[in-house]
Amino acid sequence: MAAKEPVKRVIQQVRPILSLDRDEARRRVLNLYKAWYRTIPFIVDKFDIPKSEEQCKSKLREMFLRHKEVSDVRVIDMLVIKGQMELKECTKQWKQKGHVMNYWQETVEPKPADFLSKFMSGQN
Amino acid sequence: MASLLRSISLGLRSGLAQNSGILSSARRLKHSEPAVVEETRPTVRKPNTVQRAHFIDFGRYVAECLPKYVQKVQLTAGEELEILIAPEGVLPVLQFLKDHHQAQFSNLVDIAGMDIPSREYRFEIIYNILSVRFNSRIRVKTYTDELSPIDSCNEIFKAANWYEREIWDMYGVFFANHPDLRRILTDYGFEGHPQRRDFPLSGYVELRYDDEKKRVVCEPLELAQEFRKFDLSAPWEQFPTFRNANPATEVIETKQAEQK
Repeated sequence: MAAKEPVKRVIQQVRPILSLDRDEARRRVLNLYKAWYRTIPFIVDKFDIPKSEEQCKSKLREMFLRHKEVSDVRVIDMLVIKGQMELKECTKQWKQKGHVMNYWQETVEPKPADFLSKFMSGQN
Repeated sequence: MASLLRSISLGLRSGLAQNSGILSSARRLKHSEPAVVEETRPTVRKPNTVQRAHFIDFGRYVAECLPKYVQKVQLTAGEELEILIAPEGVLPVLQFLKDHHQAQFSNLVDIAGMDIPSREYRFEIIYNILSVRFNSRIRVKTYTDELSPIDSCNEIFKAANWYEREIWDMYGVFFANHPDLRRILTDYGFEGHPQRRDFPLSGYVELRYDDEKKRVVCEPLELAQEFRKFDLSAPWEQFPTFRNANPATEVIETKQAEQK
């Protein structure tokens, strides 16, 4: 029933969060990346974390690339806003050591993927 | 039936109000609200008909003054006025209600949120405002979704600052032009918005102290649970006393509603 109907192209007029087009959103993302990149030496210096600057930078890159598939401008803006808030929490040292180290998830064991390891861990 | 009677009696009252003089007021005293039986039970709250009539008039007046933004005016629980507005009208409506001489809703008591995932605009933002001058409280309701920003009313009510932060933290509604929008209740590094209906009761992560690392660690939580279907409907009636209770909301007819 639904497949027979012609697919209507709906252009929704929505209110932008910050950026009006993709270029502007892209610029905001790059600015946020640069801001984080420049803050990393201070984070390594101020927080008592067993990580080097290189490790932090690769983690930063990984966290940004995690959302590389996002194409909606408003979703990008929302992620930028949240990233900005996290940056502020780091620079103002509202976060503590544990909060910063949570980016690495060192204690999280990867989920068993194949049959034998699933069996050994008691999952089925 | 009750609402019909009420509207008739309202019509009578407004018709009589146009006449002037003692005679009409005497007649009004005689004829007003003949169908309403006075509540005598001590444990039941007496309906405040005067307040109710004031709210109906005021709701109509607001809807006439701001036809662009006010979409619906309704009474809940008998005598609580709610003004339902479009999201772009938050600032003008609140400014109007605050500064109008006959309203003077100068206090923002609370901002509440509500999440109904099945709706197109899933979040409702509810402003509870108080007029100290006229000792009355009304509610202004608007709607939004996850990605549509709402104007911050911090410039109108300074109290909105933390309330809007709370809404942002709990529901993830973004307030445009807020001076200091950041988390207020959740921990740093917390992901998700806990008051959303799709947020699981146990959360996505759990925190524990790791003896080896000598710090608190955060781990994803997965509580597998069998899918259960709860049948919550009972074969008997739970509240037979309230079988004929007033409707939860009564829409007040305004001129805009008549035009549509």
